[in-house]
Amino acid sequence: MSTFIEAVLGGAAGSVVTIEPDVVVMNDGVSHAAVDEIGSVAYPEKVYVVYDHDVPTGRPEAAAILRKNLLFAQKYGCHYVQAKGIGYLYLLHEVVKPGQIVVGGGSHASIFGANGVLGINVSVPELARLVETGRFSTVVPETVCVNLKGALPESASAMDAAFAFLRKNREALQKKALEVYAPSLTQHEKEVFLSIVGSTGAYTASIRSTAADDALSFDLSSVVPMVMLPCDERKNQKNASFAEKATVAGTVLHAGQIGGYTGGTIEDLRLAASLLKGKKLALGFRLSICPATSADYIQACEEGLITQFIDYGAQINAAGDHSEIVQGAGAMGANEVLLTTGLYTYTGAMGVPSATIYSASVQSVALASVSKEI
Amino acid sequence: MDKVFNGKIWKFGNDIDTDTIIPGKRGTIPTIEEMKKYAFELLKPEFGSTVQPGDILVAGTNFGCGSSREQAATVLSHNGVRCIIAKSFARIFFRNAFNSGILLLTCDGIQDVCEGGDIVTVDVDAQTVSVNGKSFKVGAVPENLFNIVSNGGLIEDTKARMAAGLKKTEITPLTKEQCYKSGYTLAEKLLKRNAGKEHVQPGDIVITKPDMFMIHDIYTPYLLDTLEKMGATEIDDPDKVTIIFDHCMPTAVAKNDSAHYDAGLEIARRYGVKKLHIGEGICHTIMHEAGYAKPGEISTATDSHTTTYGGAGNFCSGIGTAEMAAALITGELWFKVPTAIKIVLNGHFKNGIMSKDVILRVLGDIKADGGQYKSMEFTGPAAHEMSMEQRFTVANMALEAGAKCGLFEADEKTAEYYGIPLSEIDWIRVDEDAHYERVLTYDVSELEPQLSCPQGVDNVHPIHEVLGTKIDEVYLGSCTNGSIEDLEVAANIVKGKQVAPGMRFVVVPATNTVFKQAIERGYIKTFIEAGAVISHPCCGLCCGMPYGLMTDDERILLTANRNFIGRQGTKKTLSYLSSPAVAAATAIAGVITDPRA
Repeated sequence: MSTFIEAVLGGAAGSVVTIEPDVVVMNDGVSHAAVDEIGSVAYPEKVYVVYDHDVPTGRPEAAAILRKNLLFAQKYGCHYVQAKGIGYLYLLHEVVKPGQIVVGGGSHASIFGANGVLGINVSVPELARLVETGRFSTVVPETVCVNLKGALPESASAMDAAFAFLRKNREALQKKALEVYAPSLTQHEKEVFLSIVGSTGAYTASIRSTAADDALSFDLSSVVPMVMLPCDERKNQKNASFAEKATVAGTVLHAGQIGGYTGGTIEDLRLAASLLKGKKLALGFRLSICPATSADYIQACEEGLITQFIDYGAQINAAGDHSEIVQGAGAMGANEVLLTTGLYTYTGAMGVPSATIYSASVQSVALASVSKEI
Repeated sequence: MDKVFNGKIWKFGNDIDTDTIIPGKRGTIPTIEEMKKYAFELLKPEFGSTVQPGDILVAGTNFGCGSSREQAATVLSHNGVRCIIAKSFARIFFRNAFNSGILLLTCDGIQDVCEGGDIVTVDVDAQTVSVNGKSFKVGAVPENLFNIVSNGGLIEDTKARMAAGLKKTEITPLTKEQCYKSGYTLAEKLLKRNAGKEHVQPGDIVITKPDMFMIHDIYTPYLLDTLEKMGATEIDDPDKVTIIFDHCMPTAVAKNDSAHYDAGLEIARRYGVKKLHIGEGICHTIMHEAGYAKPGEISTATDSHTTTYGGAGNFCSGIGTAEMAAALITGELWFKVPTAIKIVLNGHFKNGIMSKDVILRVLGDIKADGGQYKSMEFTGPAAHEMSMEQRFTVANMALEAGAKCGLFEADEKTAEYYGIPLSEIDWIRVDEDAHYERVLTYDVSELEPQLSCPQGVDNVHPIHEVLGTKIDEVYLGSCTNGSIEDLEVAANIVKGKQVAPGMRFVVVPATNTVFKQAIERGYIKTFIEAGAVISHPCCGLCCGMPYGLMTDDERILLTANRNFIGRQGTKKTLSYLSSPAVAAATAIAGVITDPRA
């Protein structure tokens, strides 16, 4: 019996397959560099050029990247997507269908597995070749299964679960396709879990509908609040360490960010609003709320959540991915400490090199905005 | 300071704005010593590294126009510039320069006979400047201002006053009945009321006790530093002080903004300021929205667009940080009574025409220095037809003509906005027998949409001359046009439509109150559905902060108040200013579009 990835790629583990992905994604984050190398486009209708990172543009250099991307999309007739929010979620909810293959230049394409879509991350040169030829060759990876048993306690989230799971199992996942049986997680929690566990060296991840026999086992009921610790360079982000939040409790914070596909969806915003109700933002703590998509933003407006956040004293960012900021709303200054639901904690990810970044769940950031500490 | 001295010339042209002296994006560098390297970086990039102590700047008209940023003066001072000779100076820069210890001399003629690198000789007592064998007369320097320069600037001057024991000026404000006395301009009425003078005339120096002092976060580190240098342990009246975090909040320029945030909190803590607005929107809108700047009163702030509240008949004018520090300590501020221009607005506004079109037309007619040192006073049926928000737009941009203030009469709308009886403020009216040095009359019924075109606010063209110009980004917001009325106009135009392919449309409500109203009324949803992105209320791209910065050869259309070179991106970015109606129509079409079409 084939695994998910074997079925979608049409080959057994270890075999070389050449496929024609259904959707190819480039954005203004990192993968725009592929545009510089592309001389032709095989299937423009499959190519999505997404503007979702530097929203609105924080530097003239960022505007130049957008201009390059826009001209590229217009020249070849590719889709150009802007003002929709984070590309992953826009494509996941609005474009791709189960059984399709999405290839992009990011780190979290495993999120597509939550909807039965195969998401693959590739390097910039590979992405450029793929766009030019429409084809992509790969060795089908082996699959590792995990059964998530039990249910999360109220004090923990899917993000905590992913961090805790990776702390124990990261090595076992390297270059593997991960299939996750998670009957107690909601659809949103599955998206959060997969987006994280696929970004630390795994080839991809997906959800399976039945428990696997030969599988890792992980008990959700034992999960406690976790943090991803600061790391040195972006290239080493996938090796960042995880720890129980209690080990860094009391760390003084200057700001918090609730956003991204791990914190800015309507489900996350509802949770944050419920946690902050009746609370008071600590003086000297800056809280950014970053709705993940435009649809989330509108929904949050209609449910009164944005108004509640405004009254709480939060700053509401434009819909998009604000987990890495060179210059723009939410940037951190010298020697400041940020707690974010974003997944980048490397030096300089959110501003100056001397700023320190911890990553944690919506619950943890919301609570920190009251106490001004982890 | 010697009264006769020489210096090597750096030569400049007309309308050198403060963004040119020190770009807005450098304005949040925490230390002047670091910032001074970037003086004139776009115009004369060699200046910062080669200027020598004692060098003298020679320029044309309106030197130092634009923003109130005191750093424009202090970077020059810290670069060793001790004297600037120009045909005329912008009002706030004039105050800031003297307060920074720079001698300003007005002279028309030397510009034609000198070049950069020539040596000029200044004789203060003889009131002459000489270069290349030719001498020219210069304007007299008031003794009190020369003393500030001689003392090394306002900080040292204030320290000396504090050491001598501050002597408060005894002032009894005029009664309401005394305010009805006819024959005065609005500026004269407002100043004489606060100063307790039964009669004033242009040129008089009056000591006032402002009713509200506003500080915004772009200057908090420098203000805190100046207060410390002056040795201030307390300020005159903390209840009269408001601190608003809007330029650097949300923190966006990583290496700078948190320092401004921290300094703002520290000023509040140290001096007992309770009126704090952290990330709640733009200072000038909050000042009238929260009722801090009231009709008939005097306000001042560390920002050039302090003129905004003149829309409610509040005398308000911007000052620099050193002057703010001194004023916070003493509770007093001197003003020179300005001459005035009366602008009579007749007719009725037609659909698609807004007050922004009126003020842009006025700016196009009188140019960036046409209101220099003056009070621009708006009256006539169309002025009263304007809502309060529309009046604030006009008063806000009066500054772009160099005006000391832009004032409207108080009427029923003013009274309703502030929830006070009209009978309390109806003395704020234009007297027919007042002396105005100039009267301009417009029929707004005949007006078409107006745009400030690259690169200067007074490069104004009617829309038919620029129709069809491709635009890459539209920015709807700012203290000029970020009100709920402005958002309503724009939302009605974009509702059910999509922005042009590739068009970046950035919407920034002026304040949290406006933001929440826009959510409640569905405007935010309308904008997002049309393809806009929404940023949190702040000054944003209007002041060059990272909320939609542009690259070379891109064109942006803003509802903001300035389109100086480099302000919204690079020095090759082209910026247009317009009303919200034009902005919305342009966002949909992708080219400059007449909203009446």
